[in-house]
Amino acid sequence: MNKRVAITGLGFCGAVGNGVAALRHALKSGESGLKPLTLFDSELAGEYPVGQYAGDLAQDFRTRKRPLKPRELARLSRSDLLAMVATAECLSHARLSAAELGAAGAGVYLGQSVCGTYNSELRYIECVREAAQRGHASSRNLSALYVHEGANSCDAIAREFELAGPFASFMTACSSGANAIGLAAQQISAGKADVMVAGGADSLSRIAYLGFHCLGVMSPEGPRPFDAHRKGMCVGEGAGMLVLESEAHATQRRAKILGWLSGYGHTCDSHHLTAPHPEGTGAIGAMRLALADARLGAADIGYVSAHGTGTLDNDKVESIAIARVFGERAVPVSSTKRLFGHTLAASGAIKAIICLLALQDKSLPANFGLNTPQDNALDLLAQTRSAPKLKHAISNSFGFGGNNAALVFSEGP
Amino acid sequence: MSAVITGMGVVSALGSGVDAFASGLASGVNACAMHEFSLFGGQKRRAPAYMAAPADAKGLIEPRKLRRMDRLIRMCAVSARQALKQAGLDPSTFDASRLGVVFGTAYGALGTTQEFIDSWLKNGERHASPLAFMSSVHGIIASQIALDIGAVGVNLTLAQRDISFEAALATAIELLEQGKADALLVGGADELTSMLHEFANHFRYVERSAVAGADPWSKRGRVVPGDGAAVLLLEREGTPRKALARVHKARVGRWDVGPRAGALPQALAGFDIDRIDLVTTSRAGSANSAPLEAARERALDAALGRLLPKLTHRGNFGNFPAAGALQAAANVLMLQGQVFAPLAGGKPRTDLVGALKAPRCVLHDAASMTGSHAAYVMSAI
Repeated sequence: MNKRVAITGLGFCGAVGNGVAALRHALKSGESGLKPLTLFDSELAGEYPVGQYAGDLAQDFRTRKRPLKPRELARLSRSDLLAMVATAECLSHARLSAAELGAAGAGVYLGQSVCGTYNSELRYIECVREAAQRGHASSRNLSALYVHEGANSCDAIAREFELAGPFASFMTACSSGANAIGLAAQQISAGKADVMVAGGADSLSRIAYLGFHCLGVMSPEGPRPFDAHRKGMCVGEGAGMLVLESEAHATQRRAKILGWLSGYGHTCDSHHLTAPHPEGTGAIGAMRLALADARLGAADIGYVSAHGTGTLDNDKVESIAIARVFGERAVPVSSTKRLFGHTLAASGAIKAIICLLALQDKSLPANFGLNTPQDNALDLLAQTRSAPKLKHAISNSFGFGGNNAALVFSEGP
Repeated sequence: MSAVITGMGVVSALGSGVDAFASGLASGVNACAMHEFSLFGGQKRRAPAYMAAPADAKGLIEPRKLRRMDRLIRMCAVSARQALKQAGLDPSTFDASRLGVVFGTAYGALGTTQEFIDSWLKNGERHASPLAFMSSVHGIIASQIALDIGAVGVNLTLAQRDISFEAALATAIELLEQGKADALLVGGADELTSMLHEFANHFRYVERSAVAGADPWSKRGRVVPGDGAAVLLLEREGTPRKALARVHKARVGRWDVGPRAGALPQALAGFDIDRIDLVTTSRAGSANSAPLEAARERALDAALGRLLPKLTHRGNFGNFPAAGALQAAANVLMLQGQVFAPLAGGKPRTDLVGALKAPRCVLHDAASMTGSHAAYVMSAI
């Protein structure tokens, strides 16, 4: 990047709780938020656990910012609320007032994949049932299909927090959150914005739950990334939001700089709709681009936050790619998806927060669920490890369509 | 920084291909027709719409690949191939890491998403369709195009309601400016499905009666929906390929928060606005959108300091969120020396073009009811 970008606020919501403190606690304790699905009825609910947020999102938003009126709630999806709760936390954490956000022309970039489908799919199913029984769909259910639109969350955040600057919803499947953060950082680095709110959010949905099931990649015992006996992934939900600022803006208002976003790389496999390139060419390319963007060498990186979904193919290919970029067993690696499942578009944003916590706490999170490493190529973190000299970490995010993103984070002042 | 457009592809109600699009605009072809839409209850409803013609993939995409693409993806992939062909850019000989795709779509693969849900409603949760799931992902458009042409560079899909294309264009220009790519296929597409039509009809947003066509200047009417795709091949200045038009700036912002200035001041900052001789907009003309459209036009007049002709061609190709992509293709054609009198209710509004000569510089302004706003400036070579 032309200029490094300061990170001054973090917000999280997911299966391990509401708030970055809950995430930090889970990373230290290893307490997983994976539980049987209760959000919606499914005949598979007892077979495949999920990372479901247990709190009341409307109440959480009331606590963090203000009560939402029933009319407002009716137009917000579960994904929208997850994003708004995390955004409220990150802006509060950054101590940025509405006036400061307005004066800075702050914008919002959000990564999403599932978007409002948890709500819209239910309404669609209700429409189908009503039509079968009464010959037509009701006004109530047809109206509520409104929440399906992909831009809803981004619009809701911009309106609620009065962010008049650059804004966009990026849909690159499970790399969406990472891409949104990387592209927001580029806005700041290029001098087009001083403050950006960026991250990712996705809720659980029938489409995601049944979709990953029909692909045969779900695990009944929870994900065990990079384990030789891994059986697959678990779907989760959540949001991770960050406040990014130009160094000058953060310094001028004496904000606490939590860390720097120093590099971003993005590639496409152009290989298959869902399967990664078997040699990991796209993943390798994204990591190398991110390192080059950060003007760092592979040896400078002290931690790799792996995408690590726990599926057979993804972990195998990511392992090849990491070993190719950094060398075999050259850098500590972990995946944290056993804590809260694969949160899809939110995954890259939550992992960004995990990297920043690692840089702040000088502590690397364990690769939870690992018993027997799949191979000897990676220095997998069987346990939490102290890393007093950690200066730079990289986070990988890979999505359907072979969409790869990597972000490099560096320790703050 | 500016970028140049070196190729275009269009699949619309006016036909498949830029030639069909250009001749349809030039001759005032009214592509509005009555189409049949299925309601949830199984009943059929006939309503006017501008449904895109079948995407003609002959000589562009192998049948084997085409079979794996749904209607939306076909429109997009064929448009992308048309743009590459017009530019003379062979993706197999271009540095694949410097070739990318940036696409805007409000609804994405809505039809396939519905197909996926129907697959488990019909066959049971354990027998949902994996193919439909894979193809229902919102970002699948850019991925499918990359898969078809072998591009391994930037690959983004944006969803931004009525400015989805314009947001993609703004992002693409920034990526070129930052040196992240040398050539980007920038497109917009949306598909009109029966469910979407029923949803829009429920809000009394779409026209149901047999009208001759959309009238974007109506303040009381409903919109006549459409669908389609358009792709521009955007390259950095200095490309050896022939440039069709130049994009100077594209910006996205909001008109509903902050100083209510939207993206216009940023799009015009540092630009000699006296060069602008035509404005195009996203005017739809519905009773709901008319107040916003009137306010936007007042803002445009104030920003430019003079009254300029304002056109929209949604009466030619219909109204849909990513229709900005088709308007951009029309703008490129106008910058090459043609002026297209827009249709309103199926009739050409020659009064709007009057003595207008071929424009040299076009400002486009697009806004959505939900607060998003975009503007770009495009000029002749």
